[in-house]
Amino acid sequence: MKKAFLCTTALLLILVMGLSGCGGNGNTETSPSNPPASNGGTKAEGGETEPAGGEAQKVVFWTFVDAHQKFYESMAASWNESHPDKAIELEATTIPYDDMHTKLLVALQSGVGAPDLVDIEQSKFPNFMKGTPQLVSLNDMLEPELGNIVKSRVEIYSKDNTYYGIDYHVGATVMYYNKEMLDQAGINPDDIKTWADFETAGKQMLEKTGKPMITFEGNGNWSWWPAISQQGSDQVDTDGKVTVDTPVNVKTMEFFQKLVKEGVAAVAPGAGHDTEEYFGYMDSGSAASVFMPFWFMNRFTDHIPDLKGKVIIRPMPAWEEGGNRSAGMGGTATSITNQAKNPEDIKEFLAYAKLSKEGNLQIWKQLGFDPIRTDVWSDPAMKESNKFTDYFGTDIFDTLISIKDEIAPVHIREKSPEVFDAIRNKAIPEIFIDMKEPAKVLKDVQASLK
Amino acid sequence: MQPKPKFKFTPSSLLLLVMFVILAALMLFPLYALFMASLKPATELFRYGLNVRVDFDMMSLNNYKSIFSGEGAAGNYFGWYKNSLVISALFTLLSLLFSSMVGYGLGMYRFKGRNLIFTLVLVVMMIPVEIILLPLYKLMISLKLINTIWGVILPFIVAPLPIFFFRQFALGLPRDFMDAGRMDGCSEYGIFFKIMVPLMAPAFGAITILQAMNSWNNFLWPLIVLRTTEQFTLPIGLASFVSPLGNNYEALIAGAVLAILPILLVFLFFQRYFMEGLTVGGVKG
Amino acid sequence: MQIERELRHNAKRGYRLGNSQKIAPYVFVLPFLLSFAVFFAYPLVNAGVMSFQEVLPGEVSFVGLDHYRGLWNEDFGAALYNSSRYTLLTLFLLIPVPMVLAVFLNAKTMMFSNFFRSALFIPALTSVVVAGVVFRLIFGELDGALMNTILHLFGIPSQRWLYSSSLGMFALLVLAGWRWIGINILYFLSALQSIPRELYEAAEMDGAGTMRRFMRITVPLLKPITIYVVTITIYGGYAMFTESYMLWAGKPSPQNIGLTIVGYIYQQGFQYFNLGFGSAIGITLLGITLLVSVLQLTLSGMFKRED
Repeated sequence: MKKAFLCTTALLLILVMGLSGCGGNGNTETSPSNPPASNGGTKAEGGETEPAGGEAQKVVFWTFVDAHQKFYESMAASWNESHPDKAIELEATTIPYDDMHTKLLVALQSGVGAPDLVDIEQSKFPNFMKGTPQLVSLNDMLEPELGNIVKSRVEIYSKDNTYYGIDYHVGATVMYYNKEMLDQAGINPDDIKTWADFETAGKQMLEKTGKPMITFEGNGNWSWWPAISQQGSDQVDTDGKVTVDTPVNVKTMEFFQKLVKEGVAAVAPGAGHDTEEYFGYMDSGSAASVFMPFWFMNRFTDHIPDLKGKVIIRPMPAWEEGGNRSAGMGGTATSITNQAKNPEDIKEFLAYAKLSKEGNLQIWKQLGFDPIRTDVWSDPAMKESNKFTDYFGTDIFDTLISIKDEIAPVHIREKSPEVFDAIRNKAIPEIFIDMKEPAKVLKDVQASLK
Repeated sequence: MQPKPKFKFTPSSLLLLVMFVILAALMLFPLYALFMASLKPATELFRYGLNVRVDFDMMSLNNYKSIFSGEGAAGNYFGWYKNSLVISALFTLLSLLFSSMVGYGLGMYRFKGRNLIFTLVLVVMMIPVEIILLPLYKLMISLKLINTIWGVILPFIVAPLPIFFFRQFALGLPRDFMDAGRMDGCSEYGIFFKIMVPLMAPAFGAITILQAMNSWNNFLWPLIVLRTTEQFTLPIGLASFVSPLGNNYEALIAGAVLAILPILLVFLFFQRYFMEGLTVGGVKG
Repeated sequence: MQIERELRHNAKRGYRLGNSQKIAPYVFVLPFLLSFAVFFAYPLVNAGVMSFQEVLPGEVSFVGLDHYRGLWNEDFGAALYNSSRYTLLTLFLLIPVPMVLAVFLNAKTMMFSNFFRSALFIPALTSVVVAGVVFRLIFGELDGALMNTILHLFGIPSQRWLYSSSLGMFALLVLAGWRWIGINILYFLSALQSIPRELYEAAEMDGAGTMRRFMRITVPLLKPITIYVVTITIYGGYAMFTESYMLWAGKPSPQNIGLTIVGYIYQQGFQYFNLGFGSAIGITLLGITLLVSVLQLTLSGMFKRED
């Protein structure tokens, strides 16, 4: 009798305890066990974040790249030194790529729990432009600077003439040639002006070494997209209409497929250029070149160590004499969400990190990106020794300056994520793996996206 | 307390032994390879793929050192470790209590609505968390459970899978024990806690292992509920080492090896417990 | 707290009246009912409502059955086909094999039984994140990758494992077998332990052979646990997402050979932000799995109390 009573109450007690959520009542910002510190891993600023002047403002930042977190932490530290009256306390967190965007979506959709400052990857950005954008307009700080930066790098992140994000880099696509292999085959990379020259050189490479001249992605967008962008074409037009099967696009695909059939090009193992397998493949000198955006440099320095000092950076071949020799690819915007308490103050900090001269110099020094502010490209600091100049030589930015005005803007619209996926998993594998007729494949994809 | 098994060396038992040795080797190979990889620089892994060449020139504890030094990306590793331990322990204990109760209730009694409730258990089992992610998140906000341990644990504490398992187990429990208990003046709950729980020991063993494992490796929901790096659990932290830009495979692999340890201990401990607690059974009664 | 009072009162009174047997089961299942109402029914109804809406940040509009109509497309077809195929194949892999292995491990003549038990189970303890990386390297397309090295032993040339539908499915099955066989062995073992040895001894006296004992005693007595394992395998098969996500490194698989239904929900809901459409897929998936399980449980007489 007593037992029954006791058991029942015990059970109910446990239930009630569980449901009252001990431990999280009221202040959910930080639990007591967790003093607000900027990231535990870096000892960049111990007590310096709290200046004597007054309260440092807390800024929550999410990113999916560890290096971006470190960059902003260092920028926050130097900002606090030069602006003690507007000191901020940056609370940065790195979250896996897909998951960070999911988390951000859930938070923005619910109106609670979003960070103040956040990195949004380019191909995800259109999703945040759907409906009413939940991000803050950056026009007032951007407009004065538009003349100094590569404009397309902020236009990508705009809707109805309102700018919502600023990129880290231009993402200029360049050729990475394996100089050692070119020498073996007796090829001078500076003689390769057009894709026709490239094909000739590729045949020579195959003949002399038996190895392919170049690799293409078999399940990705980084080979075809820059190539059509060079010719002023794109996967969607300015109005967001799908333009996958335009004649230029088909012709480009046919040419690349021909290179694969000839053996001049190989399809990258591991389906893409950004995979573990591919790093191993290049490391062992299995192909003589690849074109990828500027940010691909750190894959070489970090994952392809054996080619140090053997790889040179050159412009892409043009499709006709005098045509564009590069394309701006990939990117990540930093945006401010509408849940930020003091967006104006955060804007100032963001401008300092992403638009100022010193910020852009740091983007090169710390991240190895091609900064969006072009006047720093010719700065002597760009030639200073770092892991990139040690690997590729000091002429990296000479190449970049030569193609500065040959970078067409890409269109990223609401339909883009679906178009990218359709190209990546349907069109590209069918053309490069199953060797199907490009014209037909692209026409089918175009139809399926209607 | 099992009688000491007598090994009979018959051809068939030898054949079985050989078969199991091969099977175990296959099963453990990926983990062995992972362990070997954790002793080498990551570039090695990509150049030659997964290999298990023992090469003392190259092997070192550097990857582990980078975790223990507490610097860089792996700086929060042990904080994550602690969070995972706390969350897993709490989750496992509570879900054992509730699931065994519910499962026992469904398996032992006949009452109105029993089949309906059991069907509901199945329904819950069928719901991928992805569908209710957003509504559940909004609910957690209004309950003020975001960024707390309870926010991670509470929604899934009454877990359908263990309920189902306990129900299946309870179906096989001897009913005359229940009547005997009632004759002795035990309450229904007394019968459950005093008589039936010991009988369900093997089920408890299996479910402890299962629930500890699930919560230890749980990913999506904790990620959505927890806000700050310091609050993260191990899987989220480990996954952040493999981002599309900035791979930190050294820390990932060494971290993954260390992450297997606690759950392995739970498994070894409970498996013995539930294997031994068996022969003291109700059948001989 | 009314419930508490009522229950306490009921429990007291009920016990006194000797009909606590009527009340007790409801107390036992109470935690489930509470948790179900708060954490599943309520969000699920929300998701159901969302499946009839176009949900955009700051704008929600009613679109009726549009999302459900939109389900008739190639991608959903591919996802449904992949998930169903995967579920069916895992049923063949994850029920008979662990059952037989568990019987062997439970045999008196088995040496090092505990060691093998652990060895087969340990893979399940590995987080999928890590398992994904390892298996991606095992099924790599380079000549040096493990699976291709094995093929070379038999004189078969290297394969592109993650490009073709059937080889990709094979990789998924290997991963599933690796992770789940040990767990299922554990389930079967925990049930085998409670089969009294006397039964077997008696059967042996009667001259029943090994096979006959297995078919006549073991299989029938394992029925409840088998039903359980079949059900969770069906559920696990239709809910499979992480394995394929990891195997294809979080990128969409070529020609959707690895797209599963939950993967499709993830893609539509969280990668394209069509939350309404994602909910519609989810509700459809719920319908499918429910249908399959109820069918299976009815066939196996689950809703009757076994005596």
